[in-house]
Amino acid sequence: MHSSFSIKVTAAVLMSASTNKQSKTLSNLTRQRRPKTAYSLFLYLSLLATLPVISRADSQLLIQIEHPWLRAVPDAMDMTAAYMILKNTGSTPAELVGGSTSIADSVAPMITTKEGQGLKQMLGMKAVDSLNIPARGTLVLEPNGNHLMVMGLKEHPKEGARVDFTIKIEPGHQEIHLQIPVSKTPVK
Amino acid sequence: MNLTSRETSTSQTAAGKSSSSNWWLLTAAIPILAAIAISIPIAFKQEAQKGFFGTRMFPLKSAYDFKLNGSNSEEVRLDQLHGKVALFIFGFTHCANVCPTSLTNLAAVYQALTPKEQKQVQFIFISVDPKRDTPKMLEQYVTSFDPRFMGLTGRKPVIDEVVQAYGASYEMVRGTTDLPNDYSVNHSAYAYLVNPSGMWELLYDNEKLADVQQMVSDIRKVLRESSLH
Repeated sequence: MHSSFSIKVTAAVLMSASTNKQSKTLSNLTRQRRPKTAYSLFLYLSLLATLPVISRADSQLLIQIEHPWLRAVPDAMDMTAAYMILKNTGSTPAELVGGSTSIADSVAPMITTKEGQGLKQMLGMKAVDSLNIPARGTLVLEPNGNHLMVMGLKEHPKEGARVDFTIKIEPGHQEIHLQIPVSKTPVK
Repeated sequence: MNLTSRETSTSQTAAGKSSSSNWWLLTAAIPILAAIAISIPIAFKQEAQKGFFGTRMFPLKSAYDFKLNGSNSEEVRLDQLHGKVALFIFGFTHCANVCPTSLTNLAAVYQALTPKEQKQVQFIFISVDPKRDTPKMLEQYVTSFDPRFMGLTGRKPVIDEVVQAYGASYEMVRGTTDLPNDYSVNHSAYAYLVNPSGMWELLYDNEKLADVQQMVSDIRKVLRESSLH
């Protein structure tokens, strides 16, 4: 089951990514070594190409974003937060490293911290380099938890508006472009 | 001498007999006593908890009468709200996640009350960041969640006293740059409910504030009980 899926993905990517660096390198290699028959050339190429292309295919194609929303905030605030569910349907882990939007200066992944016990317990937030999206797993960004902090607001879009938002994923410097709804409460 | 020794030996035999029969009694009694010992505090706690959703203070504490500044820098005292349910949280407006979440939840709770009940309830946001949160800014911030919410702050020593009186804490955490305003604030994220008699009665962690029905039911119960007295 799994291997047939991988081969399909590989084939699809080989066909669509004929201009990428990897296939150029591969054709140079094969020219130097001069394999005897067309059949062995094909096998050799597929073998060489399979592993790196699968990981590229996973990281390029297999992150899905669900229920994104940006918190509507009063004009007095110069920051807000974006929430969403990131689903990784691939077999390699990915990292959410940040994002960008035209309505703010910067976007950064944050975690919520808890320190101390009982009444003295304090909640805080802390910037992190990235948030992990496990292979075949999900990363949930939600109120009171992990989130994308949006800093230096230049506009204050109101409830019901939509704003352009770009999510940055590694590896592969991927960018996912979204139009996310602005809301005071979670968008289901 | 003789008599004494005989008496002693008799009493020893008696003691031996009774201890062996007591042993069975004790074996039977231990689980029963243990059950009672465990259930008494539970029963007490349930009695103290009175079926509230929030954690009930037991015994109730007289709520510390804070004196902070409102939107026009006027002094606002907790005692002025005597006769109302006052519910407050600590926070700061440069808080992108936890504070707006709590205030959004509290707005839903407040808006689920009847207009008559709303007049008997005051929700308050106390900023622990007076350096950045001016009374005017605070007013604009809190009223965007609900126009009837109150934003209060004060000088640092005054705020520290309030924070301490409710067992809370906060600390400033530097950001990545050296800019003077680049800092975040870690703070207690509980909500404190003071009943109409001025007693601090209930405590909620921030996750509980999302349960609108339970919160409304607690507030109604506090209002009902105060009207009986």
